[in-house]
Formats: sequence, structure tokens, C-alpha cells
Amino acid sequence: MRQRASSPFRIRASLTAYGFVGLALLLWGFFVLRPTIEVFFLSLYRWDGIAPIRTWVGLDNFAKLAADPIFWKALGNNLAWLAMVVTFNVSLGLVTAALLAQKIRGRLFFQAGYFLPVVQAGIVVALTWRWIYNPDGLLNESLDLVGLSDFTRGWLGDRSLALPALALATGWAGFGLAVVIFLAGMQGIDRELYDAAAMDGANGRQAFRHVTVPGLRNVFTVVLLLEVIGAFQAFDVIWGTTQGGPLHATEVLATYMFKKGIAEGQYGYGSAIAVVFMVIVLVVAVISIAVRERGEPADG
Amino acid sequence: MRRPGWWRTRASAAMVLGAVTVLVGAGVGSAQEPATLQMWLAGPVGTVNAYTEVIDEWNKQNPDVQVTTTFMGDELVKPALLPALNAGTGPDIFEGGVGPGQPKSIIDAGHTLDLSPYYSSLGWDKIIPSDVVTRTSSGGKLWSIGQSVQTTVMFYNKRIFEEKGLQVPTTWEEFLAVEEALLADYPTVVALPAGDGWPISHNQTALWGLFAGPDGLDDVLYGDGRWDDQTFVDATQTLVDQYTAGYFGPEPLAVGYRDALASFFRGEIPMVFTGTFMFPDFLPKLGEAIADFGAFAMPNPVSGKPTYPFESVAGAWYINADTEHPDEAARFLDFLNFSDFGRATLLRNAVVPVGEVSGEGLATLPTIFQEILKMNDDNRANGSVEAFLDTVIPATVSAVTYDGLQGLLTGDVTPADFTAQVQAAWEEAKANGETMQPGGVAQP
Repeated sequence: MRQRASSPFRIRASLTAYGFVGLALLLWGFFVLRPTIEVFFLSLYRWDGIAPIRTWVGLDNFAKLAADPIFWKALGNNLAWLAMVVTFNVSLGLVTAALLAQKIRGRLFFQAGYFLPVVQAGIVVALTWRWIYNPDGLLNESLDLVGLSDFTRGWLGDRSLALPALALATGWAGFGLAVVIFLAGMQGIDRELYDAAAMDGANGRQAFRHVTVPGLRNVFTVVLLLEVIGAFQAFDVIWGTTQGGPLHATEVLATYMFKKGIAEGQYGYGSAIAVVFMVIVLVVAVISIAVRERGEPADG
Repeated sequence: MRRPGWWRTRASAAMVLGAVTVLVGAGVGSAQEPATLQMWLAGPVGTVNAYTEVIDEWNKQNPDVQVTTTFMGDELVKPALLPALNAGTGPDIFEGGVGPGQPKSIIDAGHTLDLSPYYSSLGWDKIIPSDVVTRTSSGGKLWSIGQSVQTTVMFYNKRIFEEKGLQVPTTWEEFLAVEEALLADYPTVVALPAGDGWPISHNQTALWGLFAGPDGLDDVLYGDGRWDDQTFVDATQTLVDQYTAGYFGPEPLAVGYRDALASFFRGEIPMVFTGTFMFPDFLPKLGEAIADFGAFAMPNPVSGKPTYPFESVAGAWYINADTEHPDEAARFLDFLNFSDFGRATLLRNAVVPVGEVSGEGLATLPTIFQEILKMNDDNRANGSVEAFLDTVIPATVSAVTYDGLQGLLTGDVTPADFTAQVQAAWEEAKANGETMQPGGVAQP
């Protein structure tokens, strides 16, 4: 006998489901939505973090932001950072995963080795690479050793090199995640496709281009989305090394937001930066998801 | 055979007896519970230092008033303290900045206890120097007790000086000659860790103080003076000249503070201009090797002007206005800062408390520290200037200062631009009410 839509069983099942979802929604609402709304409202005030009264300024903080050259510099740095880190992680991650997909001796050891930096705390990565980039550090010493002393420099003190240097550090720490995800994706590709390609005379490079890459299309979008959001959240490696210097050469939105909001006690202005930051990341995330869903076949 | 109800009677009696015991015990317990003062300090969790040593002794001597400490990490005030004070869950005692630019918001928000009643009752008016009182008071009220006095000097490597046959310079010309002689053998003559913005401000503060003198600095901090005055432009130009001459090395912007100090103490850099605040951290690591290093006062670049000791009150102790034990907290601060045990312990750990330091206390300090204090005493008749301007000006002005100092080294900012930027930030901070008026405690 078919169950009617309003049968007691269905009502009870629905209530149970809503109960579980409701609890999660409650937690999300309290710890995510509420602070987000608070930040939005705080951005409409001037407040030093301690005064009992906040001063209403309306959209003045946003107007100030629009005219703030350091904000635009930080945004530009974020976009440059995004391009560098995402390109590095996705391309190197894909190539590394393709190599690790081969049945080679010690594969598991290499997989663990590439993933190890991913689980390091950001501050550990920062301290490690600060030592490497120090004028007396590993990089310059190595260059001296191989006769390339002309290329030694103060990497983190050079305004044109500091941001790429830190992007490399972040890429080193993060590309292992892309490796693992791509590797899992590759293992889901039907082996028969490779056999068919081999029968058609395809070599390794052609098989990679015509079988592996198309087979990883969905995985690509996931990796891309994760890397883009991660790149926008850049903070700890920068804060642990240059703190946005020299002269804002490595300033990104997260560091600038922290400086203005917390270090300088301009909570309203810092919140305005946070609101704009959030909107930018949301737009980018929505675009990424839309691009992914556009490529998927329709249901039914 | 027992009467019916025998058990009921005895059970009732036992219950009453038990209830009375619990109530009496609770009453006795609460009567014996000590008052607890919660104290928050900056520093890594689990830190053991001079302050914890004094606190342990206080707790032994005062079982009725116990002090518990929490180290809140390197950043105390904004991330941890302000939210707690706002929520009414702040500690009884906390450390914070000093005026005119640091603590105004906390004071205006009513979170700090007026310590004026204790100023004379506990004898602080006879101990705390007037310039320290100026930094820790406003509106006729004392708001905090200065934690320690820190000073900046030029530290130098004695071995390098001896090898090069150099004498400690006493004039600016001699200082330039020493730098030039060292430049022949050392790529970096004076360590300037410009990778972290704030260390450059030590050199900047010193030069601004030397050029303007104590009155010139106070005129801007508390009067109508201006940071873009030609005096400060000239002082800034001197800093830039030092850099362009190569004395700060080829890549100061790539070097952080700890790396620079490590290089100095390894003997790779002959000199570094920094503060005595680094002693508690580096002294235990150096041990007897500290004897290889000396210090001298930076001579005045301005011909005919004297040398001044650079001294700043490095932070202050505040009592929460909402504390339930204000008198106990004040007594504790008195013990920490002004008791013989407190002062001896602080000195032994290279922390100089405010007020006069006796001969016995001085003897516990490392020799180099004693030499620095004597040097300051010798020059004190000239007046003293701030060692760290960035600890007394609002954080918004400090941020502009750090950026500008890095800009001077990159060539993006001229000395005139720099002082103009600082002045603009200062005016905005004053307009926003971020600075305090000159302090002083109104006498009853």
C-alpha cells in the first residue's frame, strides 16, 4: 500500500530530519551568521574596540576604503598571489600526481613526503622560509656555493621579489593537497580508456592529454575552488615573515584587515575591509561553482 | 525488638546532623577562602620570569590574598584584554601602554581604577619620578604604575673595536670615523633590522630626541609643536645619510630583529642600537659572553647640543575598575614594584623598576647594564628623552611611522614627506581623541 504524503511515518521522519538539520543550522547561525552580520553592522560605525559607545558613520568607512591606496595595493597583491599560488599548486600538483600514479617503488613514501608540508602549521612554514630567504640563509648560501653569487639578495626585503618568494613558500606548503586530490581522481579513471588509447598508438604524453586531463575535469574544479579560497585566505605565512612589508609589497587583504582592525584599533574600518573581502571571495566562489556546473551534463 | 519508628528517628537525626555539618563547613570554608587577584601579562604561556618570582613570594607572604597569573601570548591588549574588559570578565590587574597615546581608550571607557588614593597613602609620591607620573596619569588622576624603565644605547663588540684599535666615540664626528673604519671590513656596521618596521623607530626616536631635546619632544607630545618642524626633518635626514653611506648594510629591509641581534652577538656585526628590553631574553643565552660587549650613548649630531639618556617607561600596571579587591590589588602592586624583595628580584632579572635604584640593587645587574645606568645618570642633568616614541603615541601614528621609515630606505619617501605623514596622522589621532593631556596627580 502506498504511503500518503501526510502519513504519520513521513511526518515523523521529516521532523527527525529537521531536528538534525535545525541543530546544525542553529550552530551555524550562532557561530557564523551572527558574527558575519555583526561585522557588517560594525563596518557602519567608528569604534576603537573599548569605548562603550560606537559612533555611527554610515558608509564613510567604505568611502575611505575606496580612496585608500593601500587597500587597492593589498587587493592587487591578493590577485597576484592568487594567480601565482593557484597556477603553481594546480600545475605542479597535477604533474606530481601523474608521476605518483605510476607504479614505482616507494610511491607511498613520496606521497607522504609531498603531503607532509600540508599538515604543517602556517607559522612553521613561515619560520622555515624566513630562514631560507634570510640574507645569510640557505638560498643565498646555496647560490654562493654554486658560483651564482650575483643572484644572492635580501629576498624578503626586495619589494619586487618578496611577494613571489612568499607565494613560492605557500605553494610548497600547499601543493601536496592538490597532489592527493588529483591522485584520487586519477584512480577513478577507467583503466580501459588507457588501454584503448594505447591500442590507438597514443604515447604517455598523449594519453595524459586526451584521457587523464578530461577525466579529471570535475576534480579540477574542486581543486581550483579550494585553491582559490585558500589563496584569498593568505595570512599566516605573510604575517610570520614580512607582516605585509616592505612598504606593503606583501600586504594582502587579510593582513591589512588585521592591522587596521586589531593592531590599530580601527574596528569599524577593519570590518569594512572584512565585508568587502567577503563579497569578493563569495563572487569568486560563485563564479567557480557556476563554471563547474555549466560543464556538467543535465539530469534526467 | 525495637519500637516502630526507631529507624525513622535516627535517620532524621543523621540527616539534620549532616546538613548542619555541611552548612557549618561551607561557612567556615567561605570564611577561610582567600581573595584571588587574576593578573594578565603578555608573553608565551607558561612563562617564568621576574614577575612570577615576585608573585610566588607574595603568595607565600599573603595567604589571604592570592595572585594568579595568565600569560596571554605576545599580543595581550587588543585580541584578549579589550574583549574581556568589554564583557566584564577582565582580570583584576593587567599590563598596558602609557600616555599620551596608548591607554586613553581604556581609561575613557572606565575600565581602569583611579590609583590616586594610593599615591600618597602607600608612599608612591616619594618614589615614582615626576616624568613617569606624567606618562601614567591624566586629569589629575593616577591610572597606572610604570612597569620598568628601559633605555636605548649603541651596543658594540669590544673585540672588534680592540682589533681595529677603535675607541668608544664621544662626539658625532668620532662616531662617523668609527663607522667609516669598520665599513672597510664589515658589510654591515650598525645592525638595522628594518624587515620589522619597529626597530628602525629606535634610531629615529633617538635622532629626533637628540635634535629636539626633551622640551622639543614634549612640546609636540603635550603642546602645540609639530612633527613636521625642520628639526625633525633634519634629524630624519641624518638617519637617511647613515643608510646611504652604507653603515646599515646592503639589505636592512630583509633582516628581522632577532636575526640582526643574533648576528651582532655572533660577532658578525660590530654595533646595534637597541634597548635594554632585550636583556631578559638574550642574557641567559649569552652567559659570560656578555662581557664581550659594551655600550655607549649615541653622540649628538648637532654641534653644541648635549647627549641625553633615552629612557621610556615600558608599559604599566593597571587595576581593573571592576575588581572586588582594589585595596589588595594596590598592596600587591606596591609589593611588586616598591618592596625590597620586588625591586631586588626585578633588578636581578635585568628589569629596572621605576624610581631610584639603590647601590645594592645595582650590584645584582650585569656589568654592562650597570655601565648603561651609570652612563644615563651621568647625562641625566641634560634631561632625558623618550627611548621609544612608538610606545607613547597612538597605534595609528606608529603604523604610519613604521611605513614611512621603510619608505625612507626604499627611497619612496623623503624626510620632509615622512615628517609630514607623521604630523598628519598625529593631527587625526588628536582630533579623534586618541591622545591624553599632560598628566600629574591632583594632591588632596
